[in-house]
Amino acid sequence: MEESEIENAVMAYLKRKGFRQTELALQEEQRKTSSSAAKTDPEIAKQIIAYAELDNGPVRYREEYSRLRTWTYNSLDVHKHELLRVLYPVFIHCFMDLVAKGHSQEARSFFQSFREDHEPSHLRDLQKLEGVLSPHHLEEMEFAHCLRQNKVTMKLCKYSYELLLQHLHKTESMVMLGVINERINLQVPPGQPCSNSEEVEVVALTGSSQEAVEQINQKEIHWGVLEDSLEERLEKEILAAEAEKAEAEDKEGHGEESKKKAGEGGKSGGPNKKMKKDKLTGTTGKGVRTEANVVSSAPRVKAELTMPTISMEVERSALEDLRNRARLSSSALPSVSFYTFVNTHYSLNCASISHDGGLVVGGFSDSSLKVWNMSKMGEQHGEVADGQNEHSAGLDVGKRSYTLLQGHAGPVYAANFSPEGEYILSASADNTVRLWSSKLNANLVCYKGHNYAVWDVQFSPVGHYFVSASHDRTARVWSMDRIHPLRIMAGHLSDVDCVQWHANCNYIATGSSDKTVRLWDVQTGECVRMFVGHHGMVLSIAMSPDGRYMASGDENGTIRMWDLSSGRCITPLTGHTSCIWTLAFSCEGSLLASGSADCTVKLWDVNASSRTPRMEEKAASAQRLRLLKALPTKSTPVHALRFSRRNLLFAAGAFTKSP
Amino acid sequence: MGFLPNDTIEVIAQSIGINNLSPDVAQALAPDVEYRLREIMQEAVKCQRHSKRTILTTEDVDSALSLRNVEPIYGFASEDPLKFKKALGHADLFYIEDKDLEFKDVVEAPLPKTPLETAVVVHWLAIEGVQPAIPENPTSGALVVPSENKKTEHDKDHGLPIDVKLPVKHVLSRELQLYFEKITELIVTQAGSTLFKEALVSLSTDSGLHPLVPYFTQFIADEVTRSLGDCTLLFALMRVVRSLLHNSHIHIEPHLHQLMPSVITCLVAKRLGTRFTQNHWELRDSTAYLVAFICRRFGHVYHNLQPRVTRTLLHAFLDPKKALTQHYGAIQGLAAMGPSVVRLLILPNLEPYLKLLEPEMVLESQKNEIKRHEAWRVYGALLQAAGRCIFERVKLFPGLLSLPVHSTLESSIKVATTFDPGNLSSTLRKRKASEVFSSQHSSKKTATDGSVASFSTESLPDSIGATSEGQAVVKLGESTLVKVTGQNSDENVTGNSRREKGLLNKSERAGSVLAQAWKEDADAGQLLASLVDLFGEGMLMFFASSDMSLFL
Repeated sequence: MEESEIENAVMAYLKRKGFRQTELALQEEQRKTSSSAAKTDPEIAKQIIAYAELDNGPVRYREEYSRLRTWTYNSLDVHKHELLRVLYPVFIHCFMDLVAKGHSQEARSFFQSFREDHEPSHLRDLQKLEGVLSPHHLEEMEFAHCLRQNKVTMKLCKYSYELLLQHLHKTESMVMLGVINERINLQVPPGQPCSNSEEVEVVALTGSSQEAVEQINQKEIHWGVLEDSLEERLEKEILAAEAEKAEAEDKEGHGEESKKKAGEGGKSGGPNKKMKKDKLTGTTGKGVRTEANVVSSAPRVKAELTMPTISMEVERSALEDLRNRARLSSSALPSVSFYTFVNTHYSLNCASISHDGGLVVGGFSDSSLKVWNMSKMGEQHGEVADGQNEHSAGLDVGKRSYTLLQGHAGPVYAANFSPEGEYILSASADNTVRLWSSKLNANLVCYKGHNYAVWDVQFSPVGHYFVSASHDRTARVWSMDRIHPLRIMAGHLSDVDCVQWHANCNYIATGSSDKTVRLWDVQTGECVRMFVGHHGMVLSIAMSPDGRYMASGDENGTIRMWDLSSGRCITPLTGHTSCIWTLAFSCEGSLLASGSADCTVKLWDVNASSRTPRMEEKAASAQRLRLLKALPTKSTPVHALRFSRRNLLFAAGAFTKSP
Repeated sequence: MGFLPNDTIEVIAQSIGINNLSPDVAQALAPDVEYRLREIMQEAVKCQRHSKRTILTTEDVDSALSLRNVEPIYGFASEDPLKFKKALGHADLFYIEDKDLEFKDVVEAPLPKTPLETAVVVHWLAIEGVQPAIPENPTSGALVVPSENKKTEHDKDHGLPIDVKLPVKHVLSRELQLYFEKITELIVTQAGSTLFKEALVSLSTDSGLHPLVPYFTQFIADEVTRSLGDCTLLFALMRVVRSLLHNSHIHIEPHLHQLMPSVITCLVAKRLGTRFTQNHWELRDSTAYLVAFICRRFGHVYHNLQPRVTRTLLHAFLDPKKALTQHYGAIQGLAAMGPSVVRLLILPNLEPYLKLLEPEMVLESQKNEIKRHEAWRVYGALLQAAGRCIFERVKLFPGLLSLPVHSTLESSIKVATTFDPGNLSSTLRKRKASEVFSSQHSSKKTATDGSVASFSTESLPDSIGATSEGQAVVKLGESTLVKVTGQNSDENVTGNSRREKGLLNKSERAGSVLAQAWKEDADAGQLLASLVDLFGEGMLMFFASSDMSLFL
């Protein structure tokens, strides 16, 4: 180490900072002590030199990063896995450091040259960051801000850790060392390097730190089904009146069927009869009882919300359906009835089907909702119901096959039927949610509360309550009789894109553009679970009927199955190639149906994966959910799926001519 | 730096009337503009997703702008893709072509057609998991890909329990049923007709026959057990089997276990056909080739197929209690499988077997004409098998051929000299005498040739019955030779008689001459020698005549 070099560096520093006095004092002192020739501590000297070199920082960032990168790629396979993970946070922080220091040009070229390494798993983040070019962008952009604020926690085995440090010291990569020290919280557990690829995926840089997530997921949740549910009542009832039921069922089943048959047209009359036969054969006491047992295995919980009363009539028909439910399993697949929207010209934004398949509603980008009554198909029917009670005159009303519901002032992004199908909720870009009556064909209530476009709305499984999700990053719980929200769930770092109720109505799950799914307690309004693992925005969520599992689908075509109690992903379901628009569990929870933009409906076996983890929790993560069947449609992306109470699967989508 | 060059900012500034924009401002603005653009596009993608589309439209951008509280872009979106035109004088400056429209034209333009009303149509996408083939569903061609996907998916999760499928009723189409009936009728009734030949061609080439395979195998098995007496039918059945085997479109492997017993039966059954006149020899011969063909074709799939077949045949061959017809079938079957099988399985047993066979062939010990004929048949088969085998060996060692063959030739000539088609006992005596005296008469050479010729005719499977006395005697003459040499060989292994010794010496010498005294060679030589001992000049016909002519 050249003494003069250090002196020059120190001098330069003092000069730059304008410490005139100190400089003079130093020079004075130097003159005095030059004879003694005291050696500076080599370590300190190195630091001083390194600091001096910080001036040409941008170059150093690039050099050191590329050195680290080369070293990492050449490291032993055992450690490579872990070390590669470190590379990504180092990369983005280097980039942001450069931007923050104002070297935007260098930052850009740095970003471009190493971007490709990280594209496979972090494409969306990179696209976001790419636009950041000036320090104030960093402040403004929430994502970047979050990254700057929080340290990334990362596990690294001891040996890899030492290797890394050794390398950084040896190559004098002070900048890299600084970045790692400042931005990454390296946890060094003893033992072997973990090569689990699952772990790698977890290193998605979310705003909140790993510990916070874990802390949230420690909270207790009661995932059981509601006590005194219809299923439970049915079980009791079966024991009571077996013979009477058989008689009544025959009569009602007939009425139901003939109605449906009329709705689905003469063409599908044949298969319909078959369905009926199956349903009837499935209604032997044994079948229902075993089925009921599946549900009864889940624990019971009390409802925290006041439950709406169900009219006797509704209850009776629901029980009827439960008795006639077709049992589904991996060997008994459901029948799928597909509602195809034609001539939509890309304007169909959403679709929903009532529980019995009798009504279908579509939300359109021209702010309208259109309701088709499948039982009156073919008849002359049509009416215009205006939200503002203004009848649009001059329209040839009689010709339409549907009921037009007008009232929104922006594209309708979601529509949802109440459990009994008498109400329709719609969410729109005009920041409102509207409630419609499907009987009166009129707008009943307009719920204003969200500050931005409302993306999704869902009725609770018992009706009355509903939840909406919005661009304003909140989800809100409402009841039909109040125009103000009951709860506001805030916490997502980006839009809340989809929302779903838990089977026991005590929780809601929200999927967001921040790639997480969160579970909220409806009563307290706090976040009780955070599910991290998706690589893209979450577009759809479904809850299993026993309340134990949740499935979520993202824009990349991946479906993840989560265990609510542990907050862990049981298994990723891969197979779809495009956005998962919709997910649905069959009524007894044995099948999961997924509808995607790749024009397929896929059926997955839930039991194959969910039964095993109870016995061997560890092996479950390696296990994959089984794809039972892929049902391709004729260039029709699947927008909505719904299992009827009798386990008939309804699907809806807009026919799009392939370009 | 960014994708927006400063020039663009300047151009935009000019377009809104700011003419003197300083480059510093442009430089500061460019990155910010880019950032805002990206922000808007990000929001637009969100809107696109919520509109459940995979194509980004201008509407999405409008929605994104409104989400950002930006004043929307007014005006109507263009139907056609925007046309960018190069600005004159600038290398990378483009502008959108914006034509002036005549107001009159716009007003007077005919109204566009009203778009069709949105409607909902219903169909069954699947009925209990099965997609019905209706026009609303994608065609089966498109279905192939997902089913493959499913398969790979299944391969992936091999650890999962497998569904046990219930037995499915096998449904045959009406056409296939008719086809099957027609073919079976043909087999039973008119096996010789040209129509039957056509049927065989159809069986060996048609691609749609796979569903019928179990029915055919069942039919064949039934018919073979039922009508062992009907040689023509058996023959027809074997031809059907052969045709089915040749059909490349069907997988007969799963049914092979059902087919093999029938085939083996046709080869080694004690009695095939009711009357002696029926040509069961021919049936056995052709079946032998069929068995060999099956072993060759499916040997690699079922590794134990050939061992099992050979074991069965060997058992039949080595069991002295079995009828001669069965022996014949076994020998033919083994012989058809190739020379190595013969060498390994038949040749070691040849000597004791011939000892057993000999009394059957001689008139004194076996009075029954039929039995004797059978014995001669077996002898012929053995001769042929051994001959083929040795021919193959010799082909491998061409150098060896010269000397031993020569010696054999000599000896055979000697044998031929003693040939006398009159009295058997005298022949025997004379044979012995010929050995002792070993006189050679060149004039008898022709007789040798004659005997060779008669052998060749004999070995043909067609020539049956009506065995000419001459031929029979020729064979007998041979066998006596065998007997004699057999006796001699008991005395001394290496060199029994003078002649043998010489022969062996020669063969050994041949080895040394070739400087290749390796065992295989010697073995081959010895094998040949011993064979010649056993069969006499019958062996000779298996060498190419050209080779022979060298020595003659």
